[in-house]
Amino acid sequence: MTAIQDGPAQAGTKITPHGTINIVDPSPLNWLFITWNTMEEPVRTDQDGRIVYALAESSEWLDDTTLELKLRAGVRFQNGEIFTAEHIKINFDQMQQWAAPHPPGTWLNFPPASVAEVVDDLTLRFHFPGPDGLAIGKMRGFHITSKEFWGPNGPGFGYKKFGSGDGHW
Amino acid sequence: MIDEAGPWGTGPFTLVQGVSSITTRTVIMSGEPFACSHLIESEQRSPQLVLEANLDHWNRERGPRIERAVFRNDLSPDQGLDLCLAGDGEVDIVTEVSPADAERVLASDHAKLVAFDANRVLVGIINRGQADVPLDTVAARTAINLAVDRAKLVAQGLNGYATVIPAMTPPWCSGLPEGATPFPHDPARAKALLQQSGWPAGRPLRLATGENFAGLGSLVAWDLRGSLGIDVELIVVPDAAMPAGARRLIENKLGQPWDILLFGWFDLSSEAPPAAVHREFFGRDGAFRAGPLDEGFDALFDEMKVQLDGAKLVKVAERIDAYVKEQALALFLCAPQALYAVNNHVEFGPYRTTFEIAEVTVDEGHWSRVEGGSGYLPPAHVEGEIVTTPAMPIAGEGGGGPVAGDAKQAKPGFSGAAGNGC
Repeated sequence: MTAIQDGPAQAGTKITPHGTINIVDPSPLNWLFITWNTMEEPVRTDQDGRIVYALAESSEWLDDTTLELKLRAGVRFQNGEIFTAEHIKINFDQMQQWAAPHPPGTWLNFPPASVAEVVDDLTLRFHFPGPDGLAIGKMRGFHITSKEFWGPNGPGFGYKKFGSGDGHW
Repeated sequence: MIDEAGPWGTGPFTLVQGVSSITTRTVIMSGEPFACSHLIESEQRSPQLVLEANLDHWNRERGPRIERAVFRNDLSPDQGLDLCLAGDGEVDIVTEVSPADAERVLASDHAKLVAFDANRVLVGIINRGQADVPLDTVAARTAINLAVDRAKLVAQGLNGYATVIPAMTPPWCSGLPEGATPFPHDPARAKALLQQSGWPAGRPLRLATGENFAGLGSLVAWDLRGSLGIDVELIVVPDAAMPAGARRLIENKLGQPWDILLFGWFDLSSEAPPAAVHREFFGRDGAFRAGPLDEGFDALFDEMKVQLDGAKLVKVAERIDAYVKEQALALFLCAPQALYAVNNHVEFGPYRTTFEIAEVTVDEGHWSRVEGGSGYLPPAHVEGEIVTTPAMPIAGEGGGGPVAGDAKQAKPGFSGAAGNGC
C-alpha cells in the first residue's frame, strides 16, 4: 500500500518455545484474531500497523492493472502441504464466488472481473479491471488455506456451517 | 473465520481445539453497484480454544515462543481480570481492559498494565440528514466540535488513556496532514456559530450512545449544553437494541432519531486510514454515513484508491483527512488506547491493529515453567460444546466507571468498537 516493507528474514536460529499462557479476550474480533494467529496472508501488519510481506516476498505493478507477487519459498502448511502460487489461486477463486465474502463488507472485495494467474510455483499475477491502489492492503484480509481446508473433510470458510462463504472470510 | 479446528494454515500456531466464530446478517446498502456490510448477530465460542506452536513455521525468528495458548471463553471479562490480578496460573493476559479498571491492574502484585496506542477512534457521527436542524451546514457542525473539551473527556472519561486527534487519523498513522491540530475548546465561538447556523429555538440536541459509552456521553452532553446554550437529550441505547439501530443506520442513511451518535471504530493497518475509517463514515459505501452522499469526499476517495504509488496515495489520504476536518463532518474526539492486563512473568508486545501472540514469551518463573507449578489446564474438548452469545454485550457490563453524570454508569470499553459492521 503506502510503505510496504520487507518481511522479516527467514529465521537464522530457531527459538524454542516454552510455556503455556491462558488468555481472556472479550473482543468481538476474536474470530479474526484466531484466524490471524493460525493462518497467513500475502501480507500482514507488524506491531506498528505497517504492512509487511508474509507469504509474499515482494510485489510489483507490471502495468496499471497487473500486480505480480513473488511468493516465499520453503513454507509448509500445518498439514504438510507445500505452499505454492496454486494455493493463492485456489483461495482467490473460492473468495471471488461470493458477493460479499468479508465480514467487514464489500469494500474489501476485489472487483468481480479480477483474475489470478499462476505464472510458476512462486509467482502469481493478479489482473484487475482497473487500477487498485488498495489491493495490497486488502490482501491483509485474504487468508490462504491448505487445499485440504476446501476438501470434503475441511470446513471451508463457513461452507460446512452455513453452506456459504458469504460474510465468512 | 474458522469453524473447525485443524491444520488449515501456515501461521505460527495451529488451532487444535475449539472454535471462535460469528453469525452475521448481511445488510445491503446498494444494489448496483452491490455494496453491503455484515452485522455480527452473535458469537459462537468453545469454552476453551487451544492453539499449539507450529514448530515448522517459516519465520521462527518471530515465533512462536510459547508452546501453547488457551483462550478461556468460560470466563467473563470481569472474572478473567479478577483471576489475572489475584494470582498466577489461571489467566495470563486479559485484553480490552476498561480504563476504569486500569488502577486495579496497576495495584496488582501479579500483573502489569500494558497500554498501547491502537488504531481506533472515538467519534460522534453527525446526522447530516436531520430535516429540522441545520446539521447539513459546516457552521453547525463546527460549533459542535468547538463545544467539547477533549482534554477533559480524555482525562475524566478515559483516565488519560487516549490521544486527542485532529480528525480521523491518529498521529502515528500515515495520512495525517502536516500541521493538523484538533479543534480547540471555544464555547463562545461555538455558541455564535450555532446561532448563525439557524438552530431552531427550543429544539434540544439529541445525543445517542451505547451503554459502553454512556459515561463519556454524559461528559460530551455536559459540554454541548454548557457551550451551545441549548438543551441536550442523552439517549443511552440498550445493548440489546444496538444491532437493530446499527442495521437502520447501515441500510437507511436518512431518518435516524438522533443528531449525534457516539461511536468507536478501528483500522486494519496504519497505512491509509481513509480506506477503513473515513470511507466508512462519509463514503458512498460507508456503513456509518448518516446523511446524503458527500460528493467532495467521494471524489477525493476515488482519486486515492487508484493511486498505485504509495507516496501519492498518502498525499491524497492527507487531503481527505483535511477535508473531513474542514467540513467538520463528525464530532472528532480521540484515539483510545488498547489496555491489557498481563501477568508479571509474561512478556507481551501489543499490536496497533490486532491481537497476535507469536512474539509472546514467558520467563522461567512462570507457573507453566516452574517445576511443580500449577495452573489452569483445559479439559478435553467435548464435541459440539459451543456457547452462543449476542454481539456487543461486553463493554457495558459491570458498573462504577470513573465518570460523573446522570446517565447509566458503565465502564467505558472499546471491545464493541469492532462493530457493528463487524
